[in-house]
Amino acid sequence: MEQNLSSATLVRPIVKDPQAEMDVPTGYGKTESYLLPKDPAWMFLFWEITQGTFDYLRSQYGEETLKQARTIIRLHDVTGVPFFNGNNSVEYYDMPVIFEARSWYINVPKTGRSYIADLGYLTADGHFILVSRSNLTSVPPGHISDIIDDKWMIVEGDFQKLLKLSGADYIGLGSSERMQVVSQHWKLTELTSSGSSTSWSSFALHLDKVQEEEEDIWLEADCEIIIYGSASKNAIVSINGKDIELKDGKFSIRQHLSAGSVVDLPIRARNAKGDKTRQIMIKALREQGK
Amino acid sequence: MGNEKGYLALVLHAHLPFIKHPEYPDFLEEDWFYEDMVETYIPLLNVFENLTEEGVDFRLTMSLTPPLCNMMADPLLTNRFSRYLNQRVELSEKELHRTAGTEFEAVARMYFDKFRRYKDLFENRYHRNVLEGFKKFQDMGKLEIITCCATHGYLPLMVHKESVNAQIKIAAQDYRSRFGRNPRGIWLAECAYNPGDDKFLRDEGIRFFFTESHGILHGTPRPKYGIYAPVYCPNTGVAAFARDMESAQQVWSAESGYPGDARYREFYRDLGYDLDYDYIKPYLHSDGVRRNIGMKYHKITGKVSLNQKRAYNPAEAREVAAQHAGNFMFNRQKQIEYLSTIIDRKPLVVSMYDAELYGHWWYEGIDFLEYLFKKIYYDQDEIKLITPMEYLSIYPENQIVQPSMSSWGDKGYHEVWLNSGNDWIYRHLIKSAERMMELANRFPNAQGLLRRALNQLARELVLMQSSDWAFLMTTGTAKEYSTKRTKDHVKRFNELYEQIQGNRINEAYVYELELKDSIFQQIDYNVYSSAAKEAVLAKY
Repeated sequence: MEQNLSSATLVRPIVKDPQAEMDVPTGYGKTESYLLPKDPAWMFLFWEITQGTFDYLRSQYGEETLKQARTIIRLHDVTGVPFFNGNNSVEYYDMPVIFEARSWYINVPKTGRSYIADLGYLTADGHFILVSRSNLTSVPPGHISDIIDDKWMIVEGDFQKLLKLSGADYIGLGSSERMQVVSQHWKLTELTSSGSSTSWSSFALHLDKVQEEEEDIWLEADCEIIIYGSASKNAIVSINGKDIELKDGKFSIRQHLSAGSVVDLPIRARNAKGDKTRQIMIKALREQGK
Repeated sequence: MGNEKGYLALVLHAHLPFIKHPEYPDFLEEDWFYEDMVETYIPLLNVFENLTEEGVDFRLTMSLTPPLCNMMADPLLTNRFSRYLNQRVELSEKELHRTAGTEFEAVARMYFDKFRRYKDLFENRYHRNVLEGFKKFQDMGKLEIITCCATHGYLPLMVHKESVNAQIKIAAQDYRSRFGRNPRGIWLAECAYNPGDDKFLRDEGIRFFFTESHGILHGTPRPKYGIYAPVYCPNTGVAAFARDMESAQQVWSAESGYPGDARYREFYRDLGYDLDYDYIKPYLHSDGVRRNIGMKYHKITGKVSLNQKRAYNPAEAREVAAQHAGNFMFNRQKQIEYLSTIIDRKPLVVSMYDAELYGHWWYEGIDFLEYLFKKIYYDQDEIKLITPMEYLSIYPENQIVQPSMSSWGDKGYHEVWLNSGNDWIYRHLIKSAERMMELANRFPNAQGLLRRALNQLARELVLMQSSDWAFLMTTGTAKEYSTKRTKDHVKRFNELYEQIQGNRINEAYVYELELKDSIFQQIDYNVYSSAAKEAVLAKY
């Protein structure tokens, strides 16, 4: 036993945490959604929709209407909109979504803007039924500003030199080396656990038990993969031999991945003259599940 | 202003997540703290002591994050560290005899001398509280200690500004209680900046923070001086200083960075594996499994297997560290000289590193810093070490630029902390924050047990928000521990929340959590009230 424990530690025995062996909740019983920024090109939306909400919507719009409707994320660009009322966004973008997924990575249409995501049904006659509205989130521009400050002018050539010196070419690079080193720092003690071994094993046992108890459930799942990246502005990029369109030097495509399939996706970039090429191979395998 | 051509601001970020397990006599992950104490934090203080004794003036900016300060001041952890250090002294003394007359004699002597010196500093000079040491150098004007988000919480992924406000306010209060003044600067966890969060910094009197280079390069309007001068955030006037990539690369680069020199200490060859089991067993954890114990007798040598590494030569390694310090200074001189031809003021180079890189990972990094400070002081007058506040007093007028959202993580934004491997945590982090606000708004004047329960609820929330857990889930190191820590805090939070909601608070349960998750003794749950947030937003 520890010799020099602070006196408080030994005053009373520690009671067992009544919840220590429970997993975290799957939801919190409230229909809501949250939108988080990930980088200039991506946001993350997660949500919970309660049975009560579904019941209410069915009673309001009728089962048939909802069945025939598509479930979508309507992403509103609300940049500069002081108060968003559902209809006054600068622009909006619809994207299909599966409600059961409970979260979704959204490819940002334009960088440096503010967004609100509405989850809802798009009915056969084009009517939008709101299920949940997210918070507002902004994504960074991801590039040098075009706005120049009159009071703080600099000669363009000098600014380009400064950019180079400032490490504009390194942005986002180099940090991975730091990350490797920092994570090594934690690795040292990771080999096995010490005092905590009892609690780990009981934790694992409980998870198995939960799975056994819940028998009357159903599950459906499918899979799409998203290939995304960026290339020099005037490069011509192809995926699997097919040329794709670049927006601001960026690209993104979705591809369905059926069970048991292997997909090769060679990504090639070539310059206009066609004498320089770069290639990245991506191979996706979806194992045949049971 | 003197004759110098420009300035160098050295910034070290010292951080560990709050890890304390009073429920176990011996806990593996607590070693992270003990290792960094003996390899980085105390050795740094030792450098400051040496420099001061020799009359070398130096400047360093250093974050000591609130969790780290809480651990440094914790009686249980410092007692356990004292035992850890005593064991090292004891083992290194035995080693003096065992290695006498062998090629390892010099390195064994080095460990013995260092451990004895560190023990003397820790026990006798700082009375087991190294914060005393850091405070001393801050009060002397050599060291600028800055704070960090309360638990290294990742601000751009906090939806509720109440959470941002609380991370800053709790940190500032903790800082004041330890250093007797307001923090003037902050290291935003992972340098993750979200436009507008500077309002909460300003409200605590914080004058500056640091960003990754593109935080300023991608700012609006274009930054006239690139990253070689700070900018002021609009409305708040809080200054943002950006990281210089050239000096970062010199240290971090896997290929060309200093730490890879063949004459430096090899990290992976450790006495914990090399010595006879019975001899080393008393210095291992209670489970008796061989692990690194932090004493290493070999040098990197080259690209050879671990068993072909050659004996470490401390004198040779110190000499290399001195050369590298000279090279680093030379490169800064050249860099600043060139920058002076482009910009119309004295350039500032901000070199930012994790503190634990020095000593823990790059063993000779501590010697490197000591040599660097000395060389800059004795050998030249072109560059001058400076703190951000000193720079702002020389150049109070700076361009107003809205810095861009950014972080110093891989790819420059939030992916390390938000990806398919860890995105599940945000459902709980955000919900817990919402529930915390709800209760803070409902009980503005709680007393007695309810107050204790609400304060503990706030502790569970901030501990859950440590960015370290998401980071470790991504890197895959200590994934099990970080997942369990996240879940534990979520569960404790929810249990306590239900007890408060149901008006059935279990005092024994609150007590147990106060003991285990004992960070921020003086926390006040009212920082989560919406009124507290609105009060800040109304000002700026």
